[in-house]
Amino acid sequence: MLYREALNLAIDECMQKDDSVVLLGEDVGMYGGSYRVSEGLFAKYSEKRVIDTPIAELSIVGNAVGMAIGGLRPVAEIMTANFSLLAFDQIVNHMSKYRYMSAGKINIPMVVRFPQGVSKQLAAQHSESYEQMLSAVPGIYVFAASDVNYAYHALKQSILMDDPVVFIEHELLYNKEGKVDIADEIDPFKARIAKEGKDITIISYLKMVDDVLKAVPNIEDELSINCEVIDLCSLNPVDFDTIKKSIAKTKRVVMVEEDHKMGGYGAQIISRISEELFFYLDAPPLRIAGENVPIPYNRSLELSSIPTPQSIGEKIITWGRKNGL
Amino acid sequence: MDYKITMPQLSDSMSEGKLVEWKVKEGQKVKSADVIADIESDKAVIEVQTFKDGIVKKLLLKEGDEAKVGTVIAIIDTDIKSAESDVIQQNKSKEKTPKKETIKQEEEKVSKKDKPHEIAVKSDKDIVDFLFGNEKEEKSLPKGISTPAAKQKAFKFDIDIEKLQNEEKLPTPAFEKDIDQILVEKYFTPKAKKLFDKYSLNFSYFKLDHKIDSDEVKSYIRKYNIPKIIKPSANQKSVINTVVKSWNRPIYHIYEEVSIKKKEGIKLTANILKALANSMCKYEFTRTVLKNDTFKVYPSSNISVALSKDDSLYMVVLKNVDNLSLKEINNWLKEIKTKKLSSEDLSGSTFGISNLGMFDIESFDALINADDSGIAAFGAMKESRMKVIFTFDHRIVNGVRAAQFVTDFKKELEKI
Repeated sequence: MLYREALNLAIDECMQKDDSVVLLGEDVGMYGGSYRVSEGLFAKYSEKRVIDTPIAELSIVGNAVGMAIGGLRPVAEIMTANFSLLAFDQIVNHMSKYRYMSAGKINIPMVVRFPQGVSKQLAAQHSESYEQMLSAVPGIYVFAASDVNYAYHALKQSILMDDPVVFIEHELLYNKEGKVDIADEIDPFKARIAKEGKDITIISYLKMVDDVLKAVPNIEDELSINCEVIDLCSLNPVDFDTIKKSIAKTKRVVMVEEDHKMGGYGAQIISRISEELFFYLDAPPLRIAGENVPIPYNRSLELSSIPTPQSIGEKIITWGRKNGL
Repeated sequence: MDYKITMPQLSDSMSEGKLVEWKVKEGQKVKSADVIADIESDKAVIEVQTFKDGIVKKLLLKEGDEAKVGTVIAIIDTDIKSAESDVIQQNKSKEKTPKKETIKQEEEKVSKKDKPHEIAVKSDKDIVDFLFGNEKEEKSLPKGISTPAAKQKAFKFDIDIEKLQNEEKLPTPAFEKDIDQILVEKYFTPKAKKLFDKYSLNFSYFKLDHKIDSDEVKSYIRKYNIPKIIKPSANQKSVINTVVKSWNRPIYHIYEEVSIKKKEGIKLTANILKALANSMCKYEFTRTVLKNDTFKVYPSSNISVALSKDDSLYMVVLKNVDNLSLKEINNWLKEIKTKKLSSEDLSGSTFGISNLGMFDIESFDALINADDSGIAAFGAMKESRMKVIFTFDHRIVNGVRAAQFVTDFKKELEKI
């Protein structure tokens, strides 16, 4: 099953199970979604539950907040992370705060979904990542789905959850093949060990998990070691237990993210590791992240502005050699 | 040196043990693995052994006493000569002075003697308290440049990183593995260290509070059933590859008995090779190999012979056997045992033989070598008869042709 098909199945099952689940966003209806995630749902559930909206992100999320207050379970799709900035007032001031401001009287059972990150030559205004800002907002859960099975289960649980969730996808993951185990009992708040190992912990999320996994065989060959790869899955809250267990074993940590290094989400993880796990470390932590530049349009410049399997491999090998591996 | 025996933990739930009976007396000579006491845990009575030779210097519990897991219950003096004289002196003094005082003196002696040997090791709780800010007393981490993990370990075992770095015994910065190296050198005798490396052991097997000798390492190896790590040699690897490949071939066997005449000064294997070569001339499939979906038929009889040399197995190839005399074949068989083998000696065969007759094996079957079409396995000769099991690759030859070949080989062998 493809990643986008897994998301579609999750939404479909939720809509079938619960009449209050509605879908809204630009082109989610008749067109089937910009990335085909809502394909077929318009025909199945009609325009009352699969709602095409105008190009106005603030109103998409604002309407969804209103629906949630009114008792529905809306799933709002925003075409790309960059456009979510227009909806930030609703996300930060309303969606995430109503439960707190109403002393728990009002629940906001809604999901905002969008893809983010560098795709193929979509240039600076369509290639950004905003997990760092969203994870800094108390009151919402932030999930980032890299694995197809996780995408299905986490989205399903997000929709049926009584709290607001920002569900982050990646444009280059929509056509990723994977297996969905319907019977699997996945805790969406738990990090996933994408590969077990014993010498280096590589923490990542979203598309970078795949790039790390591609880089790992070369790293293991060159350094004659064994890498453990953690897919964070839930960015807020963070499953720090899994990280701690891994680092207590490997004593070395690398954080890989696609976003700009300055102010990037990984800095939070490394900061907490330094605070709480300092005496476990047998090497300075390494952060691999994008350059501090707007994402270039030119393909080779674009690729050199973000981590790639090759650059991840090279950086970890150099760092490993310098640090006694 | 004093070797301390502590109350062992005999089960997961055991926190205290009862000393049922001493099996030794103070002053008695003991050997490694001797039982020194019976200890009762919450589940059973179990014998406690010493892992070192020496003389029982002190038994610290009375029979029937209970003690917590980890408390020292007996001290063995492993330095036998001095221990003997100590005991003699003590016995002498015992005769002169009243009993109670002697015990006190002995106790003092023991505690004084122990102190310089004691190596300071901090408990895990101390370290956790210190590192994570719960400590009551003021302690400081060792100075020097190292990773936090290395520093933590150095702190636990009182290793002065800065001093060792000044003496160039530790690299700068020091990693945890460098501290491990220092610990191995500090706590293990050179012999023990060799074993430690050979078995890829882990510190977690040992309590690092005394010098560990090879006997102790050996007893741990036995206790935890730790295997020795051996990487296969290049030759072993190639044998592994060849036999796995061979095992996957579609084979069948033909079981036969042949009669053979032993000739003076000529090995039986030479007879077999000659007869086989003659038959091979008549049957094309025995000169055939199957490679990359193509049959290749060679013009002469090239036979691989199983040879055991330096604990390894080689399939040494004798070429153009049909053109060689019995004597030449016999000489080759003698030479090959001492000759240094080249890759030329190990390739180019189309059929093989293996002989375990000299070990009095009655019969056995063999795996086909490399790309050969078959192999013949010979057992011991009994009253001029020998059992032989042929193995053929069915992709190259069917049963009928193989049977004709075997019958012909029997005739050829009788002619020689």
